[in-house]
Amino acid sequence: MDLICMGLNHEAAPVQVREHFAVEADEQGVRAREIIALSTIAESVVISTCNRMEVYVAAEQADRGIEYLTAYLAKNRDQERMNYLYTKSGEDVKRHLFKLVSGLDSMVLGETEIFGQVKQAYKQALEAGATKGVLNKLFQKSFAVGKRVRTHTRIQMGQTSVGNVAVDLAEKIFGKLKGSEVMVIGAGETSRLVAKSMMSRGASGLTVTNRTMSKAEDLAAELDGTAVPFDQWENVLSRVDIIVSSTGSSEPVLKAAQIQAVRRKRKYRPLFIIDIAVPRDIEAAVSEIDEVYLYDIDKLQHLAEEARESREHQVRLCEKIIEQEL
Amino acid sequence: MDRWILFTAVLLAAAAALHGARYLSRGKRSRWTVMWMLGSFACQFIVLGLRSELRGSCPLGDIGEMFIFASWALTMCYLAVGSVFRLSLLGVFTAPLVCFLLSMALVPGMLESNPLSANHIDGWRESHAAFSVLAYGALGLAAVSAVMFLVLDQQLKEGDFAKGLFRNLPPVNELGLVVRRLLWLGLFLLTLGVISGLVMKASGDSQSRHLFAAAGQWVAYLLLLFISAWRGLPLKRFAIATVILFFCSLLIFALL
Repeated sequence: MDLICMGLNHEAAPVQVREHFAVEADEQGVRAREIIALSTIAESVVISTCNRMEVYVAAEQADRGIEYLTAYLAKNRDQERMNYLYTKSGEDVKRHLFKLVSGLDSMVLGETEIFGQVKQAYKQALEAGATKGVLNKLFQKSFAVGKRVRTHTRIQMGQTSVGNVAVDLAEKIFGKLKGSEVMVIGAGETSRLVAKSMMSRGASGLTVTNRTMSKAEDLAAELDGTAVPFDQWENVLSRVDIIVSSTGSSEPVLKAAQIQAVRRKRKYRPLFIIDIAVPRDIEAAVSEIDEVYLYDIDKLQHLAEEARESREHQVRLCEKIIEQEL
Repeated sequence: MDRWILFTAVLLAAAAALHGARYLSRGKRSRWTVMWMLGSFACQFIVLGLRSELRGSCPLGDIGEMFIFASWALTMCYLAVGSVFRLSLLGVFTAPLVCFLLSMALVPGMLESNPLSANHIDGWRESHAAFSVLAYGALGLAAVSAVMFLVLDQQLKEGDFAKGLFRNLPPVNELGLVVRRLLWLGLFLLTLGVISGLVMKASGDSQSRHLFAAAGQWVAYLLLLFISAWRGLPLKRFAIATVILFFCSLLIFALL
């Protein structure tokens, strides 16, 4: 049996082309089953995520397998789109799959989501009866390699986006975010992303305030929070655990005296503040208060950059492990 | 014989501290820390058993034995709490304190070479000593957790996130909760110890002095927990107070 992989990813094709090849998440097994009906192709797995669509097949003859698979994929698609597809065969298929499950082929280097996505795609193909000995062995091996890479390297260490860095820091302070209250001052894009990350990790309440009330209401509605008028946000200060601030104000919005005034009411609970604004919204003296942990956008970006560099340094080590496993 | 086993217990605790710290510097946690500590705990248990045989009573007859007993209680609390709270890192912080306490017991003159066998056993006295030393275990571990909090707090404040230690430390709130729970446990045991001490027959001024000091220690811990629960206290101040109170409590040994 010869191994073949045909597909496209975020590096090979723009989103307009990728979306044209995309397969719905619960349709991957059905497509895999369709592909094994083609002549010379015995086994198949279809993987489709937002960044890639790939078909892995085991064929009796590689050249004929590529020919039939190309014809299958070309149905209802013009040649221009077909030109974006790449084709791999033999050892290159194994190498590519091992890199894929290890997160080395992802847009965010080392991300872990792809491992679950490949597992899901394989499971669907298996249940649809589209895999047998060759692909079963290959995919099982790839999962073992993916685990080995993540255990023996630091490829997934640190967070590479500002939003996730902020969430990690919040978890270092509060543990699980369940039960934590978030307040967003200024409804900018970065604060929206940070607040969204916090809510997705379990934060239980969100208050949004903005000089333009309608913007606060829009963001609150999007993230299932509550909007408060800009002149009333201080009333909320005593109950929040996390503050994300990003107003366009040239003067500090939150001063040390305001926090000092509510410390007793807060029972001195830890307060995590992210200041995304330039010029900064939070007075520097705020960080001198014992239970306050204050970070500005530079610090968060620096941490994200450090994690990206660290992951890039780990790639060679990951590739070495993959070569050993081939 | 007992000194050699005690020496082995010191070495095992030192190994736990060094091995754990080495792993931590690489950003990893060693599963062996708990094994070294388990070994040290077993050795401490054997020493206490041998001393108990010699004395024919609870092995709390001299300062050396009290250091060993306190260290044994501290290690026991770590083995119980460390696994419950998933605080495997606690061992790396506990091991140096265990090492220190056991080394103090090894200082010449601390352990009587030929302790006299007890003619008469006062149950209240034995209870007082045992509960008090067990309380030291819980309060000592609270102090260790407080130190862990102070380290994490410093790193969070300075934005020093690159070290392996930072990645492995439990969250701020979890550490605060552990310190608080251990203090309550320590206070409960100390209460039993002080009550037993008040009931036991007084046998001189030194006894009264140390009971007075123990009662003072009890009031101080109660006050700390009461203030923290009633009006709140920044975790940093709470942690510093926990560490200071524990080291002040060790001075009671000097009054024995």
